[in-house]
Amino acid sequence: MLADALEHLVRGIVDSPDDVDVSMKTNRRGDTLEVRVHQDDLGRVIGRQGRTARSLRTVIGALADGDPVRVDVVDTDRRR
Amino acid sequence: MTTERLEDTDGQEATEAAAETSAEPASGRLEEEGDVAADYLEELLDIADVDGDIDIEVRNGRTYISIVSEDDDNNSLQQLVGQDGEVLEALQELTRLSVLSATENRSRLVLDISGFREGRKGTLTKLAEDAVASVKASGEDYALEPMSAYERKIVHDVVADLGFVSESEGEGSKRHIVVSGPAE
Repeated sequence: MLADALEHLVRGIVDSPDDVDVSMKTNRRGDTLEVRVHQDDLGRVIGRQGRTARSLRTVIGALADGDPVRVDVVDTDRRR
Repeated sequence: MTTERLEDTDGQEATEAAAETSAEPASGRLEEEGDVAADYLEELLDIADVDGDIDIEVRNGRTYISIVSEDDDNNSLQQLVGQDGEVLEALQELTRLSVLSATENRSRLVLDISGFREGRKGTLTKLAEDAVASVKASGEDYALEPMSAYERKIVHDVVADLGFVSESEGEGSKRHIVVSGPAE
């Protein structure tokens, strides 16, 4: 449910909704939702001073009902 | 899930407001903005399996969207308000961005959930009245706690109605209202 909710929230605020991909990764430290978007939409999802990413985390955190969930925006074009 | 539209019936007031500022958005644009926002929120409620009805209202050049539930102890809606409305602010921010993305218009829509902002409005009105009473009694300026632009607007209006002066001071998260007066 959380991944679907996050995907919906992100799809609604980007220019290329079909390029939005959200996947849940689970490891020892807990659950992480990884968000991938079109390179040109990265700024939109992160926002000024990370404001949009913070809003996404806040809403997903509320829906997660107390279970800590990380939300990471993954820069897929990083080749450094 | 129902979506109900309440039309602005006070046509004259809307026209006057539009005449004041040329940047005032046309009501057609505000209705479109309400529809986009309601779709965005409604699908989120569906995915999260949260019960809530969405009302859209356009008045005074702004779109107001409220999510309400007939069940007063609706815990999942309370979760979407969060501590001090923190989640509500985040959701409002995302909803505004969804309107920007769909219409290329910057939205100033106001989202309310379970009447949180209405309740806050009562609190803010009381704060403003107390501040004015203090200025009246002491003759000294009275500084309020920092609050959001929307909340400052509510306080400014109450203070002005009481015939006193209020100004915002400070930057960013420290921006707050100082009440002085009475107005000339």
